[in-house]
Amino acid sequence: MSSVSQLALLFVGAALINNILLTRFIGLCPFFGVSSNMETSIGMSLSVIFVMVMSSTATWVVWEFVLAPLGVGEFLYIPAFILIIASLVQFVEMYLRKASPVLYRAMGIYLPLITTNCAVLATATEAAKPGFFKMNLAITNSAGALSLGEALVYTLGVSVGFGFALVTFAALRERLELAPVSRLMKGAPIAFITAGLLSLAYVGMSGWFGL
Amino acid sequence: MSEWFRVFKQGLSIENPLTVLMIGLCATLAVSTQFQNALFMGLAVIFVLTMSNVLISLFRKAIPSEVRIPIFIVIIAAFVTIVDLVMKAFVPGVYAVLGIWIPLIVVNCIILGRAEAFAYVNGVGLSIADGLGMGIGYSTVIVLLAFVRELFGTGHIVWFEGTLISLPSGYAPPSLLLLFPGAFLVFAFMIVGARWINERFEARKEAAACRP
Repeated sequence: MSSVSQLALLFVGAALINNILLTRFIGLCPFFGVSSNMETSIGMSLSVIFVMVMSSTATWVVWEFVLAPLGVGEFLYIPAFILIIASLVQFVEMYLRKASPVLYRAMGIYLPLITTNCAVLATATEAAKPGFFKMNLAITNSAGALSLGEALVYTLGVSVGFGFALVTFAALRERLELAPVSRLMKGAPIAFITAGLLSLAYVGMSGWFGL
Repeated sequence: MSEWFRVFKQGLSIENPLTVLMIGLCATLAVSTQFQNALFMGLAVIFVLTMSNVLISLFRKAIPSEVRIPIFIVIIAAFVTIVDLVMKAFVPGVYAVLGIWIPLIVVNCIILGRAEAFAYVNGVGLSIADGLGMGIGYSTVIVLLAFVRELFGTGHIVWFEGTLISLPSGYAPPSLLLLFPGAFLVFAFMIVGARWINERFEARKEAAACRP
């Protein structure tokens, strides 16, 4: 078992230093798609945290108890993980619609979108078989794997970092709407330049705590 | 045949997935640090996109619309696994760098988007045109982006063991271009360029239409 400080390091590393959006370029579609207003970006962030934690748990269990023991993981992990995530999201959507209409109204529309979000697949895969995207994790055991608890802390870190970056960027973009920008640069190009500057701030964090 | 070329050309210009629709950005920005890797990424996308378009449009009458998304994803995942294993076997050096981006083609919005918006409602011939056009449109942008970033970020273009182009030795490359912010900045200017070109084409077309 790992100590609390190690877990905290794992969380900070995943959330800020290796921020999935701004230093890894994973999951950029919603980053530009829903960030034009604050409210939708908060809804999207909450849904991502929710879905990522669930799908990482599922893929971790399937990898540990089905794919790895059978020795078919190397060539079946892509179809297996994406199917797990897609069906899980579908299931969650149906359940939410019945059980909690309030929550459904807040995140419902984002759930189908999240199925094809590469951030979810990448994080779920990394949690199940570390080393997948060379995240430089602070802790792994002798076999180079994470325990279920560590995988959950890691996933929580990644998804909170995702939400934080998305909400910051949405705030910047709302302000940018009021700025006088030349015709060709308006909209997407200026958003990309803003994202570039934001990402510069995150690059500045690399190397903290030796991560 | 003219319809075929019209669909083919759309992917390259007014419906370019990267500069106009702005989908599938993650992989583009991440792998465009090296000309050679971007080229292989482009080829992988062309292959997966065309093949999945063909298969989906062949079976479009048999796929029930309620479960189409999972079926599309399984079809796409099969082709991605083929690319994944082939690249691992034949170009291990490139595979080591591209790494996760090959499996992540499964969830690339371009491919699922074209399956849903085009291949599911059109014939096989047109779906091939759409797959090739979109794929080549994607590759052109990613290769161009990588060319600019590698040439000006490192001072030369590397092709496997050799060097293709070198800038004069006095050039001090700004490494910012190779870092993450550089990708965003260069890509922003590429969108501006694509907008400008598309606007010029539109203006010319309108001028031609006005003439008696």
